[in-house]
Amino acid sequence: MQEILNKLIDRYAIEPIQENRHNQAFVTIEKNRLPDVLTWLRDYEDYTHLAFITAVDYPEIEKIQLTYMLHNYILHTDLGLRVLLDRTRPEMVSIHHLWKQVATYQRELREMFGIDFPGSPGLQENFALEGWKDIPPMRRDFDTKEYSEKTYFPRPGRQTHDPKEYMKEKLYPSAKEDK
Amino acid sequence: MSDRSKFPPVIDGKAQFDLDSGKYIKVWQGPQHPGVTGNMALELIISGDEVIDLTTHVGYLHRGFEKLMERRRYIQCFPIVCRICVPEPDTNEYLLAAAAEELAGIEIPEKAKWLRTLTLELSRLASFLMWIGGQSGAFGMGTVAQWAIAQRDFILDLFEELSGGRVYHMYIVPGGVRDDLPSGWDKHLEDVLVKTEKMLKEIEIVMFNNVIFKMRAQNLGIITPDMVDKFGIVGPNARAAGLARDLRKDEPYLIYDKLDFQVITRDFSDAYNRTYLRWQEMWQSIGLIRQIMAGMPAGNDYHYNLPNVLNWKIPHGETYVKAESTRGEYGFYMVSDGSGYPRRVYVRGPSYTHAMALLPHLAVNVNIADMAGLMVSLHTYPPEIER
Amino acid sequence: MKLKDYLSPFYVWKRAFDKPFTTRKPLEDRPGAPRYRGFHQNDMEKCIGCGSCEVICQNAAIDLVPVDGIETTRKDSGLRPKIDYGRCCWCALCVDICTTGSLKMSNEYIWIDSDPEVFRFVPGASEKPWKNTEAGYSQHENYTLLNLDRIDMPMLTPEDSRKSFIETVKGYSKEEAMKEAQRCVECGLCVATCPAHMDIPDYIRAIRDDNLDEALRLLYDTNPMPATCGRICTHLCEDVCSIGVKGEPLAIRWLKRYIVDQIDDTRFKAILRDEFKPNGKKVAIIGAGPGGLSAAYYLVTAGYSVTIYEASDLAGGMIRYGVPEYRMPYDQLDQDINYIKELGVEIILNNRIGKDTLFSDLYNNYDALFFSTGLNDPYKMAIDGESLPGVFSGLQILDDVTKGIKPDIGKSVAVIGGGNVAMDAARTALRLGAESTLIYRRREEDMPADTEEIHEAHAEKVKFITQAIPLRIEKTANGKLKFIWNNAEMVAKEGAARPSPIAIEGDIQSLEVDAVISAIGQGADYSFLPPEYESKIKFKRGKVIINENCQTTVPKIFAGGDIANPTADAISAIADGHNAAKGIDKFLNKK
Repeated sequence: MQEILNKLIDRYAIEPIQENRHNQAFVTIEKNRLPDVLTWLRDYEDYTHLAFITAVDYPEIEKIQLTYMLHNYILHTDLGLRVLLDRTRPEMVSIHHLWKQVATYQRELREMFGIDFPGSPGLQENFALEGWKDIPPMRRDFDTKEYSEKTYFPRPGRQTHDPKEYMKEKLYPSAKEDK
Repeated sequence: MSDRSKFPPVIDGKAQFDLDSGKYIKVWQGPQHPGVTGNMALELIISGDEVIDLTTHVGYLHRGFEKLMERRRYIQCFPIVCRICVPEPDTNEYLLAAAAEELAGIEIPEKAKWLRTLTLELSRLASFLMWIGGQSGAFGMGTVAQWAIAQRDFILDLFEELSGGRVYHMYIVPGGVRDDLPSGWDKHLEDVLVKTEKMLKEIEIVMFNNVIFKMRAQNLGIITPDMVDKFGIVGPNARAAGLARDLRKDEPYLIYDKLDFQVITRDFSDAYNRTYLRWQEMWQSIGLIRQIMAGMPAGNDYHYNLPNVLNWKIPHGETYVKAESTRGEYGFYMVSDGSGYPRRVYVRGPSYTHAMALLPHLAVNVNIADMAGLMVSLHTYPPEIER
Repeated sequence: MKLKDYLSPFYVWKRAFDKPFTTRKPLEDRPGAPRYRGFHQNDMEKCIGCGSCEVICQNAAIDLVPVDGIETTRKDSGLRPKIDYGRCCWCALCVDICTTGSLKMSNEYIWIDSDPEVFRFVPGASEKPWKNTEAGYSQHENYTLLNLDRIDMPMLTPEDSRKSFIETVKGYSKEEAMKEAQRCVECGLCVATCPAHMDIPDYIRAIRDDNLDEALRLLYDTNPMPATCGRICTHLCEDVCSIGVKGEPLAIRWLKRYIVDQIDDTRFKAILRDEFKPNGKKVAIIGAGPGGLSAAYYLVTAGYSVTIYEASDLAGGMIRYGVPEYRMPYDQLDQDINYIKELGVEIILNNRIGKDTLFSDLYNNYDALFFSTGLNDPYKMAIDGESLPGVFSGLQILDDVTKGIKPDIGKSVAVIGGGNVAMDAARTALRLGAESTLIYRRREEDMPADTEEIHEAHAEKVKFITQAIPLRIEKTANGKLKFIWNNAEMVAKEGAARPSPIAIEGDIQSLEVDAVISAIGQGADYSFLPPEYESKIKFKRGKVIINENCQTTVPKIFAGGDIANPTADAISAIADGHNAAKGIDKFLNKK
């Protein structure tokens, strides 16, 4: 594991590196460098298997993180490559030419996170959502509870009580007005 | 390999055909179709009875589990994840627990590891039985399907006794497992295993030595070794092509390093060999279950007392944990922001690439009657595609 | 293809004569496995309505509702879970988290009805076929989602603690406090029991979030003496803690202390942001004990000009003079008092009302009066020899030690009583170099003292003699005192809440000691009240009668603390002070 990390540091001056366990590490890569790094890892360093591509939303720092998980079947090591995108107009270089399944991942990310991958085949097609009008649902600011309350109807007749407030009402109601 | 010369050219991964020409018909197979596992739709373009183009559509089963987990405490995620895969829920339970435990730095008791491995292997067996039912059914062999599904039900009985649930076991909980083996369970288990072995032997006779199955399944959907990494193919689909890749052996988790087993491979990945390999892996699972039962540690320490789960916070970090499911590498990528709720849980289901990328590629030039058989031979489960 | 491949499919025909792989399941009477997670059961008597099931339910399937016949008590919210089976996913997390173990699942899974409303019900409240089914999923010993064990409090060893007046309890470190705070399920059952109704779950959450500034603000909302209460509070809250049903209750008192321990007192003003405009009205308070100080704090923050009259030479009342230093270090008490003084409360020391200042002057010169003078008149044992030299009252010993006077108790003492004062006196005597023997009329479990106090007294090797009715004290020839008692047996009387000690005829015992300390309780001293006021204020069994605003029958006079409430502890006095402040505010603004 350390060997490949050293190589990454030498070749691409990559920092920071988070080493999880002896066979797994995460590195953060500059956005435009990613296709280059991925190609090099795939073709020269035996990171031939792309396990997944996914995104993590960080609205508090106005970023969306993309994670590309690579696996080396010879050393049995995982290497996670992280890319931080601007959250207001997230756009990423498409790598659909590197692995066959990538186009689907990018289609899903476009739909669920609103990330654009210019040039990716079939990008605008629906993945799981048909006729979706709202903001991309996997963004942190999409509130599932609010959506379901708006879209569906709650079952009437449900009412709950907070033990603390209920006991106050029952046992010492005089203190009620003061709080 | 398919001869595409008489088919329309393919540009940018898309066959260039003109539906209005009258030469092609568009046929939908699914989302409700007996030949499709789960709720998935295959949009087929056929010429005569041969498929020239296929697009997989999902979205009929999108329940948004990953999103739902973001607003639940770690412990509250655990009843959710098992629903990502009906036939093999335990892999999900294990991976959620393993990811949370790794980020929280928790080491679970030894006995819990054994019990977890036991349920994982047992659910592998159940999942394979359900699958072989589908596989035989897709080629019109309903008898085998009935045998296999019935046999799976006996395993569900075992799960019911062990965990209190038949389909969704909710047995592997962060910190360990929920209960010890019930008394007398080992005998019930052995009964079921013996019966399963008997049935598997008969399946070999009537299925793998069956001229109809052989003729239809052989040379159907060939995966060559060079395709494996290009498409991200894992599990039995890759092992049938001769690649000895099995996470249980390569990156042993739980107690797999203490068990004696060999990675099973075959040298030609077509529907027949993939089916045969899975049948061999059922025998392997039975063997492993017996090994686990023989080595099961005594004592009743099977759960680590977590910090009060209502206030359980996991330190900042991210990890990717994986396990070998019946379909191959199954993984959970978990990101924690230090709060009591996961920032992100991503579920990597092996069916994602198998159904979305590989199947359209393999479907070309396949007779429409064999489509179901081809799809089942890749062993795909739609819920893990759209989570 | 081989010939075999054509023939082998016919093998299935053979199975026509075999036992089939498939079997028919008799669905009608197939019971679920013994661990099956079916419809819920709830033991209504055991359930305390803490609502943890509602919190953990990831499907929001549980509501807490009032149920006929279930009363709200201090230990029971009176609410019970109602489950909506349209949402339940049968995961049984509610069973795992249940603080009492009352919630269970039966192995029943078949129930058919055309009315969807019936699938929403309170388990245990209505008759269901599975109400008493034994089989089903329930809690068991080796798996729990709660933390039932309290984080150990670092303490001096009894061998060390009995040698000096250094504080016995060392206090939690940050790590320990966070861990202890994590155990809370935030049910809020404790709030009703706390006399001051402190926001206990909220300040425990603030500890968990490591937001101690917020925690301090929450403390001062209802209690201006947190350093004191964090040490000597009677912590009634811990008695009703839901975690305490199956495990050890949260160390609520020590968590409170942790908050104050961690914050430097010079920062209090900045954190609490107590801002107020003087409203020109004046209130006099008699007695600078917890009640008076609490009233002063809430009055001064409401804009009143407050003056406290205190007869002793230092403020603090019974907390200073009645609690030994190893439990309540004086600098911690001073910290609480200093902050109240910092806000502008004037405390006039060494001023006994009725002697140095006249009650009527206060009555005429101030807009309102609050007195919280406490119980400082020790009860007599009413036995022969009580006035012999060498017989002390517990309060006197504690008072002397606070003032730095070493009482002449010799090498061995007998302490009579079973309350906190008796424990304090016995343990103080140890620290003064004497052997202590505690003598009590009833059994140990009947002692009104805190269990921790009893436990620590045992650890420090105080000898206990129980079921002993005092008879007399005699002077012996060698100048010692002989304490004589009659052994008793406990007899349950009809209609009585607890059994009474009845002397066993002829079973007389005695003990020779250097000193006898009597600590059987104390009464109030109302000598500061001139007769014309005393006649107007109503009393009942020696206690002042007050309304919910702590107002006496004389509208301008308010009272609280040990002289008015039945529990007679610091936290009740603080609560009275708070209520009186609100009452005075209401009273003066109505005019």
